[in-house]
Amino acid sequence: MKINILGTATTEFGELWKTSPRELARVAIQGALKDAGKRPKDIDALFVGNMLAGIFGNQANLGSLFCEELGVNVPASHVEAACASGGLALHNAINSLLAGRYNTVLVLGVEKMTDSSQDEVTAGLMAAGSDEERQAGVTFPGIYALMAQAYMSEYNVTEEELAAVSVKNHFHGSLNDKAQFRRIITVEDVMRSGKIADPLKLLDCSPISDGASAVVISTETSKNSKPVFITASEVATDTLSLHDRQSFTTLSSVVRASQAAYKKVGIKASGVDVAEIHDCFSIAEAIATEDLGFSKRGEGAKDIANGRMTIGKGKIITNPSGGLKACGHPVGATGIKQIVEITQHLRGEAGARQVRGAKIGLTHNVGGSGAIAVIHILQN
Amino acid sequence: MITTPVKLWRRQKNVAGLIGVTGQILHWTIIRVPAKTFMNEAPYPVVIVELSNKQRMIGQLVDWEEADLKRGRKVIAVLRRSFTADSESIITYAIKFKSL
Repeated sequence: MKINILGTATTEFGELWKTSPRELARVAIQGALKDAGKRPKDIDALFVGNMLAGIFGNQANLGSLFCEELGVNVPASHVEAACASGGLALHNAINSLLAGRYNTVLVLGVEKMTDSSQDEVTAGLMAAGSDEERQAGVTFPGIYALMAQAYMSEYNVTEEELAAVSVKNHFHGSLNDKAQFRRIITVEDVMRSGKIADPLKLLDCSPISDGASAVVISTETSKNSKPVFITASEVATDTLSLHDRQSFTTLSSVVRASQAAYKKVGIKASGVDVAEIHDCFSIAEAIATEDLGFSKRGEGAKDIANGRMTIGKGKIITNPSGGLKACGHPVGATGIKQIVEITQHLRGEAGARQVRGAKIGLTHNVGGSGAIAVIHILQN
Repeated sequence: MITTPVKLWRRQKNVAGLIGVTGQILHWTIIRVPAKTFMNEAPYPVVIVELSNKQRMIGQLVDWEEADLKRGRKVIAVLRRSFTADSESIITYAIKFKSL
């Protein structure tokens, strides 16, 4: 059975103070349905990826909420896996099609973060960590900073080389009209930005964002002249706490999920043309490129600094959307936005940031500090 | 952060046995932008420590100076006051680390 992507859409990401979560969801849902040539009555079920509505908005029961918005009464569920909520919602939606239960389903990723202050968001996101980590007063930038310390000392990598990840992603974001940040930055800008958790600085970190993205998937064939299929959807988990793991310079969940995905479609890492990577911090993309097999161990940051993953220069292009760093990171929406972005490249509709000749795309969505990884492979 | 008395009471069982245990710093960072409950404490270092029994823990480093922020630095587990959600809430205590 083939999983067809019938339609995709995303809102602009950013500090969207005028827009409610419901309005964000409406724009994404209507856009995806229109792109799919479907109406709400054609949808058999709804899957919603969201992390923080219960914590910040005191709003649970999101499946029903957004069915109300859709004007339908179909089965609906809320899927939560921290920053991988969107990716896991899609995984569950795909499984429902593979089980033969539904034919056409809608997957929505949505998050409203900028209603809360920075210290509240920092605390709220720690719900994705462990009790020990919360007790220690560590933050997610802090946890990734610990990984960066380990990575830099193990592989002799500099802060400037890590900064190159943000520089690349801001360049890509400058080409994306949905991105939160569309300005080009330099390594010096990153180095001069304020420290958040040593060695990570403000411009090593993805922002606090609002946004929604949606995708219609189906067992039906797409009418699009360049149909896109999801050929692998793999998930793996690991300990909640970073300190409980053997290594701090690899996420075993990503290695296991990506290896399973490559095996499923019969390719090697080198077969991927374009990938959306979960670059919540610069160090995260450096490690991800190695865990996914795009770079050798210890060479991910250096490869990015050398332009090997930049549009127009590299062979495997990472984060053409600008990634979490420049496009923005409304946590529950991110995993779906990645699918929207890769679909545009495989259809040849990505405009100025089009990865030419892209045929195989990958999305890498991570929850916590690697406690869950969701990998999807998309193909023409 | 939820800090009900019963949750804190459950947690206390594990604390006593760790006081005075020594170990070494594996990795460190300095939290400069903390979560709401730790707003009054920043900046503060957080370290991953490997204890003498090989158990790994994460915790704050207290009574510190720059020279303490090194891999391999010997530390001892101490009981210290941690965050308080607000003036009406329970004062929490947690295991932190001090350079030896």
